[in-house]
Amino acid sequence: MSHSDTSRPFLELRAIHKRFGGVHALQGVDMLIHPGEAYHLLGENGCGKSTVIKVISGVHAPSEGEIILDGTTFDSLSPIQALEAGIETVYQDLSLLPNLTVEENIALGQQLVSGNGRLMRGLNKKLLAETAAEAIRNVGLSPTRELMKSPTAELPLAIRQRVAIARAIASKARLVIMDEPTTSLTRKEVDALIELVAKLRASNVAVLFVTHKLEESYRIGGQVIVFRDGQCVAQGKIEDYSRADLSKLMTGREIEALRYRQGKPMDGEMIRIRDAGSGEAFFDVNFAVKKGEILGITGLSDSGRNELAMAMTGHLGLTHGSIEIEGKPTRIPSPAAAIALGIGYVPEDRLSEGLFIQKSILENEITLIFNKLTNRFGMINAGKGRREASRIAELMTVNTKDIDLPVGALSGGNQQKVLIGRWLSIEPRILVLHGPTVGVDVGSKDSIYRAVQAMAERGISLIIVSDDLPELLQNCDRILVMNRGEMVDELDAETADEKQIYRSMLASIREAAE
Amino acid sequence: MTMVQDMSNSPIPTPEESARPSLGELFRRRPELVSLTILIVLCIVVAAINPAFLQASSLIDMGRASVVTGLFALGVFAILAAGGIDVSFPAIAALTMYSATLFVINVWPTAPMALIVASTVIGGAGLGALNGWMVHTLKVPSLIVTVGTQYLFRGILLAFIGTVWLMELPAQMTAFGKAPLLEFNGVNDVIVTLPMYFLIFPAAAIVTWYMFNKTLMGRAIFATGGNADVAERLGYNQRIVHVFVFAFSGALAGLAGIIHVCANRMANPFDLVGTEIEVIAAVVLGGARITGGTGTVFGTITGVLLITVVNNSLVLVGIPSTWQRVVVGGFILLAAAFFVKRQKK
Repeated sequence: MSHSDTSRPFLELRAIHKRFGGVHALQGVDMLIHPGEAYHLLGENGCGKSTVIKVISGVHAPSEGEIILDGTTFDSLSPIQALEAGIETVYQDLSLLPNLTVEENIALGQQLVSGNGRLMRGLNKKLLAETAAEAIRNVGLSPTRELMKSPTAELPLAIRQRVAIARAIASKARLVIMDEPTTSLTRKEVDALIELVAKLRASNVAVLFVTHKLEESYRIGGQVIVFRDGQCVAQGKIEDYSRADLSKLMTGREIEALRYRQGKPMDGEMIRIRDAGSGEAFFDVNFAVKKGEILGITGLSDSGRNELAMAMTGHLGLTHGSIEIEGKPTRIPSPAAAIALGIGYVPEDRLSEGLFIQKSILENEITLIFNKLTNRFGMINAGKGRREASRIAELMTVNTKDIDLPVGALSGGNQQKVLIGRWLSIEPRILVLHGPTVGVDVGSKDSIYRAVQAMAERGISLIIVSDDLPELLQNCDRILVMNRGEMVDELDAETADEKQIYRSMLASIREAAE
Repeated sequence: MTMVQDMSNSPIPTPEESARPSLGELFRRRPELVSLTILIVLCIVVAAINPAFLQASSLIDMGRASVVTGLFALGVFAILAAGGIDVSFPAIAALTMYSATLFVINVWPTAPMALIVASTVIGGAGLGALNGWMVHTLKVPSLIVTVGTQYLFRGILLAFIGTVWLMELPAQMTAFGKAPLLEFNGVNDVIVTLPMYFLIFPAAAIVTWYMFNKTLMGRAIFATGGNADVAERLGYNQRIVHVFVFAFSGALAGLAGIIHVCANRMANPFDLVGTEIEVIAAVVLGGARITGGTGTVFGTITGVLLITVVNNSLVLVGIPSTWQRVVVGGFILLAAAFFVKRQKK
């Protein structure tokens, strides 16, 4: 697997420091990047991962230290120097232009850089098409006219990500930095990405992942670089570190990979789904959840699990079957109706579906209880709202005392805590969590899981829809597996293991039924 | 590679869809076709009720009327494409056209026409560049900046330059307004002429089209309208893009202003201001989203023609002119309904 032995390093960081005002973000970082090697940059949010990426890609100039690029020493790099040297970054938001076509997104940069950023020039459409087609082939897609001329906003996320990678390698990349590339991908898409990384490495391109997903890092192999508090605390072959080692290195404390679930479901049924179906998304689904029970639902992204979550929360109508809540047949025609019934929903895409990103933590926490906070003249009782928001922020261990901070300024983990915490304000009967720890670091996962368990202890029924299997095994009482729209398996989370779940997830229906 | 094929098959529109796009799909992809359809239907209906609509005289009237709106609209389209909005262009047009005319009358009555046009174009570009520079440097939404400069430019015009109508234009300007391109014998043997300056609208449209489709600047403008932060990160110089689009819009406004003067054979400093909403309506009817990053030159022309036909033909079918606004408003809402549907898809 290792390509590093024969060549000199492509990039070396020596004793890099970076200060932002009084914040000492990088405190003497050393790092070696060899051609053709894969690196996994691990660490909790705020440990300096993104800062070091920005130093490498030329966005930030280091305060001290040197950067040795291909044998030449620099105090700092400019973005253009980094690009010319072949350092390409695939940002977490992908940084695609939504209204431009795939072709333009991939290949315009080349013409921009070759003209040194000058805009008053003709556009070479033939070169554009050729460059883009070659790059799109290199990421394993076929450059059909349909694809190349589509605006990227119309494409599914997995394809958009490939387009972003194609853009990175369209110019002669030597180091591709990927910032949490698998966060929103399904398992199948992750497989394809891993295959692509192997191809890049085979052509001697180094790949640097910023990631929270250890499982994938182990599959890809290569080197780990662990950051904590602005320092590189470990670098070495990933095989030499266990999960527990890495968690400990990242957090500086032991995090037990034990089951968080200690409690038991209470007596009494909370919700029952009977013979439910919605279009072609899922059908003949039957299950029930008790009070205080935590139920996991998993499956591939096209298995119907997402639609099922949406149907339970009023975002999607049922075409067959019925839902009973505490024994009473119920219809859930809209999200507002779901909330009125005490059914909460934490969507997968917290940024675009859940949070008001420019508003404060306070305002985000009290959105569901505005009517309770208003007096009979329609005025909001600000003090009451503030006390409620503080209580929730504390319960969820949101990592700031300042609840007037805009949510956009928080890390992904803390944003998720705010989003889940919002439901605490109405004490829901049922809470559906969709991918509750997507893009969240180890430390925040821990506190989210603790909060989830505490909710179950209070008698709330929780349904976690997720493809993070360790998460389900650690937190749930039971796990239901969906496959092509059907419920194919039910497992006891205490005794099940990942292999068993994968088998049901991936099996064809007939196999699973046998 | 099987996995890769799996990935490319399912999520991307399937070949069947692309082979025979439905009408809805076509409208979604090419929203300007909605306006084009409305335009064609409207023309057919009006012509059926009153065949006078198809006479040379009324067609030429509409051609003439479309020039100033069209030039304004091309400028607004460029700014909308970059994600901005401009309401100061009529004030730029009024300021440049009136100042230039006043200067020619009082200082240099024999100034060549080409130079007069060039001066308003350059003056307009300069004022527009000021808009663009402020939008970029102050990081203020362009609506605010151009509302401010609209008042500023208009105030300068009325306070320092003049408020008097200039009725006696120099000969070369009158000649420019009258020079015929085509002449027809209309009803009752009245000769109707399509003036030479009409050609400036299609010429400007071709220049705009070339800029948007054949230069890197055109892509940079769309990139900025799509997502300005990302465009900046990818190396598109935002200062240049902003200054350029506003200067472009200003230049077209200056050109439109002087044509307006020559066509009407007088310079009225109170003219033009107030037309901005109609022009923006035309561009939006042409399929450009008010949120930026989309639109075509063809669509913009369609929108301009639709507005022009509504303004000039409703009288022919017995609808009072006061109803024009109701009709334009209805069309905008109709088109908007289509566009919203397209966004939801």
